[in-house]
Parts: sequence; structure tokens; C-alpha cells
Amino acid sequence: MEHSIRNHLGALALFALAAVPLASAPALAEDPIQLGWVGPLSPPGNYSGGQEMQWAVQLGVDEINKAGGLLGRQLEVTYEDTKGQPAEGSAAAVRLITKNNVSAIFGEFHSSVALAEIEEAHKYGVAWMGTDVWADDITAKQYPEVFRVSPANSLVYVKAADWTVEQGFKNIAIIAENTDFGQGGAKIIADELQAKNVAHTLATIDLNQQDFTPALLRLMNQSPRPDAIQMVVAGQAQYQLVKQACQLGLAPTAETKLIGSSGLLQKEVWEVDGACAKNLLIVNVAQPKSQWNDKAKAFVAAFTERYKRAPTGVALEAYDTLGVVAEAIRKAGSADRAAIVRALEEIKYEGANATYSFPTTKEPAWAFHQFMDVPFTIIQYTEENQGPEEAAIVYPKNWATTDKILP
Amino acid sequence: MSYFLLLAVNGLVVGLIYALVASGLTLVFSVLKVVNFGHGSLYMLGGYASYYLISGLGLPPLLGVVGAMVTLFVFGVVFERLVIAPMYTDKVERKDEYAIIVTFGLTILITNLALVVFGPFAKSPPSFMTGALIAGPLILPYDRLIAAVAAVVLLVGLSLFLKRTALGQALDAVSQSRESAAVIGIDPKRMYTVAFGLGSALAGGAGALIAPVFALSPSMGDLPAVQAFIIIVLGGMGSVGGSVAGGVLLGLVQALGVGYLPDPNRALAYTQAFGALLLVITLLVRPTGLFGRPHLRLE
Repeated sequence: MEHSIRNHLGALALFALAAVPLASAPALAEDPIQLGWVGPLSPPGNYSGGQEMQWAVQLGVDEINKAGGLLGRQLEVTYEDTKGQPAEGSAAAVRLITKNNVSAIFGEFHSSVALAEIEEAHKYGVAWMGTDVWADDITAKQYPEVFRVSPANSLVYVKAADWTVEQGFKNIAIIAENTDFGQGGAKIIADELQAKNVAHTLATIDLNQQDFTPALLRLMNQSPRPDAIQMVVAGQAQYQLVKQACQLGLAPTAETKLIGSSGLLQKEVWEVDGACAKNLLIVNVAQPKSQWNDKAKAFVAAFTERYKRAPTGVALEAYDTLGVVAEAIRKAGSADRAAIVRALEEIKYEGANATYSFPTTKEPAWAFHQFMDVPFTIIQYTEENQGPEEAAIVYPKNWATTDKILP
Repeated sequence: MSYFLLLAVNGLVVGLIYALVASGLTLVFSVLKVVNFGHGSLYMLGGYASYYLISGLGLPPLLGVVGAMVTLFVFGVVFERLVIAPMYTDKVERKDEYAIIVTFGLTILITNLALVVFGPFAKSPPSFMTGALIAGPLILPYDRLIAAVAAVVLLVGLSLFLKRTALGQALDAVSQSRESAAVIGIDPKRMYTVAFGLGSALAGGAGALIAPVFALSPSMGDLPAVQAFIIIVLGGMGSVGGSVAGGVLLGLVQALGVGYLPDPNRALAYTQAFGALLLVITLLVRPTGLFGRPHLRLE
């Protein structure tokens, strides 16, 4: 009898043990899905761009969670400050993968850092989605886990170079930062100009530098003087270039146009550069306001309401990067890393800035997992304190609001 | 010739600002025998102080610079009393390491606090005067010209203060021998506080002068700090005159190097390399720097 009771108790204990996972199953299902964000939030990285990206992502996370989360689970994003340093990016990716057990990693502003991060993502088989990293090499490595929302240098700068040729510029100076993004972009422009027999000069800058006057004086002293200066420089270093070129009377002027990139879309350009920013030309990776869909309108309104400043194209890209990853998790029906990678290849997601898909074509090499229909415009500030959405659009023709650029 | 003149004037102007930053660093080093690794963050704080004094209190830009120097002097005094002073007591055993750690800590703390308090987006105080001086081939923005003139005034003032006032001579005495200075009735601890306050004020003044020329950001002090270290070694550690000469020389070499390096593509990217090269050559020829002496003293 005693033996029988002991057997029954033993069986009950076994049932109880077996029931533990069942009982805890609903609790596990409610655990948040973990995602990892990477980007610069402190020096020497471009922390102003990183901050905008982080804000946009958090806005998206809050919206998703408010709407019930993903697959019935809340979404949790761990933000890693990569400081614009490849070593920090690499360490951050490993931490996110091994410590935070994230299902996917997304973000990043600096190509050189992204190139370090993707090595870890590839090693561990975790999906990595780039937000605003342009170096061709990122997708050209053709890692199955690596995808990109932002343009590759080749996607934008060939067209930008062609546009400068169409405008009749005959002598173009390219000022590029000494990074994978800057040097890669400069080479693409130079090659395109070379192919079209347009004279060009290259000048490389160190992003830590504040005084660019000697290099600008050199360009001024060049004969003939450049009629256009294309900056392949990310972030706020451009403010100094614009101010110093303007103070010297070099550009933007009737004789020499100045073309910059997304860092000049932030409203601070007017505080730092003042009237010097008028007539600046800027490559802007965003739909013009006339093309905004409901999602874009809602995002711009929500971002402006929460952060008291209008988002730039970088924020739109960041918001959409989260949207793409979230959609892949929905499509995969799980937060499994490999399933997310597979889902990303099949995805078609309408975001705020574009409708995203990621081809598996291997020619040219950078096109692999590269979102190809990146919307981009070249805009020109025509009045002081103008926002990018009010600026004149000079490229492409189908979105252009004017057919001539101001002197 | 006009191209050379343009480059030289630009180098001179930037060099004078460098010299102002470096003179504060050398003052602190010679009196306290502490290398202040946080000097760049004091430069940054000076820039922001002038910005808020101008935009908040409506001070004219040049008064904003004076206000920033006063603010940074007070900050330096408080910091020295609270954080550096324990180094003079028996509480701190490894004094040199302590100084390195707390001044490094100052940089990290202030830069990160600045990101939170001032935000990550660039700011700029209004110009001292808009436009540029154009004289023949010379083009010099008024902001740079005024910053350079103000730097000269401050450097001359510092030199006169050190040579002609009792307090300045007391600082010099402590820089030579704190024990001997104490014997003749000078309180070395008081001089440490004055020196750190003055060094902070000079860094802050330089940051405030350069703010309208460049722009304000939490990391704006990183490069000037590196330049300042090069300059004080170049000029001779502890020599204010050496800092001025070193700053001007560095500014000129960098500007002319960028202007005349045969490869225009790499010229600007090598700016820091020109400084490093100048330093190496100088130290090979004169191991104590241009105006340094084997026995350290404040001059």
C-alpha cells in the first residue's frame, strides 16, 4: 500500500514537472520580441543623425506596441550607441546577439561601422538591416543576413553625377570624407565624370577637422575655379564647409554651386550657416511632400508633435527600417532568426518613404538585398529658414518644381 | 604670392586661437604639475556658456566671451577645490595617476552631460560681425579677425599679468618650486586654485571666440585639446611664450601644408600629420621644445 502511494505520489510529481512548461507556456509567449538597434549617439559619431534615427524608431515601437504588438507579443528594442567606431559597432552587435538574444539588428549611420557589424551578424546568422549606410561594400559582400533600406552609393551618386553633367557643369570639385561612405561615393562620382569627360578634382577631408579653409582656398586658387562642388560628407561637418566656403565667397555663388547631403536637412543649418545656406543644393533621400502617403503624413505629424522638430529623410528611413523588420516577423510568423532572414527576401512592405523589397540579384554585386527604388531628390533652398519639404525640387524631372537652379 | 598670403593669414588666425587654448593648458601644467586632459571640454563649455549668455541674457557677443571666461574661471576654481585638491593631501597615494584619471573623467562626464543638457544638434551664437575684410587678395571673415585680435589681447594680458603683478609672480614662484615659494609666504594651494581657474577661463575664452567661427557641439573640444598638447610640447612645457610661438607655428604649417602638398586629394586629410611631423622634427632638434628649459618654470 505504502509502495502504491509512493508510486502515485511519484506519478503526480512527474505530472507536475511535466505541467510546468505547459503552465509557463503562455508566459513565454508574452515575453517581448527582442530587437537590437545600432547607431551613433555620442562622439565621435554623428550623434545628431543617430538621435533622430533613435527617436523615429522609438516612435514606431510605441505605435506597434499600442496596436497590440507583434504576434501577440510586445516589441522591445535595445539601443546600442556605436559612437561612429567600427570596434564599438562590432562589440555592440555581439552584445545584442549573445546577451540580449535579439531576433534581428537594424539601424546604423556610418558605413565603416556597418561593415564591422555585418561580420558579426553573418557569423551568428542574424538578420541585419541598414538604415542610412551607403557604402556599396555593405551589400556587395552578399551576406544572406544583410539587407539595406538606404541607397548604395552607386544608386544615388551615378545619377547625381549625371545630373551635374546635364546642368552643364564643366569643372567639378568633389569633397569627400575619409570613410568608406565618402571615399566610395567620391570614386563613383569621379568615375562617372571621367566617363563623360568632365574635369574634376578630389579633396578628402578628415571629419574631426573644423577648419577647411586651406582646402577651400586651394579650390579657389584653382584655374579654372570649380563651377560646382559636390560634398560627399555625412552629418554636421558640412555646416563648417558651407559656412567657410560662403565666407570666402567661393560657394554657393553664381559661379560655383554647392551640393550637399542629408546633414544639411536639419533646421540647425540655418542657425549655423544663416544666409549662407540659401541656394544650397542637397541630395535628399525622401519622397517630396506631394508624394507622401498617409503613413508618411501620420509619421511626420507624430514625430513633430513628440520631438518638436520636423523629421528629415533619415528619420523616415529609420522608421521604415523598423517597419520592414516588424513586417518580416509577421510574415515569418515567429521571431526566429533564420525565419526572419527568409521572410525579408520575400517581403513587400509599404512604408512611409517607399514600398520595400529586397532582390536576390547578384549583378551588380551591391544590388544583392539592396532596396532599389530608393526615392531621392535634389532640392534647393530658395529662401532663408526654409524646410526641406518647402524647398524647390530640381531633380528628378517628374517631381521637379522648377527647371532651373538659382545662382 | 597672394595665395601664400591667404594661406598664411588663415594659418596665423587659427594658430592664435590654438595658442590661447594651449596657454591655459601650459599654465595649469607648470603650476600644478598636472596635465589636464579635460582641457578640451572646458573649451567646449566656454562656447556654450557664451551662447547661452548671448541668447539668454541678450549680451553683445564680445561681452558673451567675457561672461564665458568668468563662468569658466568659477567652474575651474570649484572643480579644482572639489576634485583636484585631494591630490595635495595624504588621502591620495598615487597622485599622478589620480590627476590623469580625474581629468580624463572630467572630459567623459562633461561631454556626455553636454549631449544631454545642450542636445546633439549644432548651435551657433551670432557673429561678432558679419562679412569679411577684403583687402587686395586678402579675404578674412570678420569673425576670424575679431577672434584673432581678441586672442592677441588675452595673450598679451596674460603675459603682463604673469610678469607685472604680484599674483603672477607668485604663480611663477610656485611653478619653479612650491617649497621655496611656501618659505617666502606664498600659499601654493591658493596658487593652484588660481592657476586652474585661469587655465579654465583661457580655454573657455578660446571656445567662446571660436563659437561663431565654427559651431557648437558637445565634441567640439576634442581636436583643440589634441592641438593644445602638441603646442605645449612644441613650445616647451610651461612656457606661455612658447605656447604662442607653437600655436602660430602649428597654424602656419598646417595651412601651408594643406595649401602646397602636391596631392590636392590628400592635402586636407593630412592636416594633423603636418602637426605631428613638426613636433617630431622640433623635438629631434630641441628636446625641450622651442622655448622650454630642462628645469621647468613658468615664463
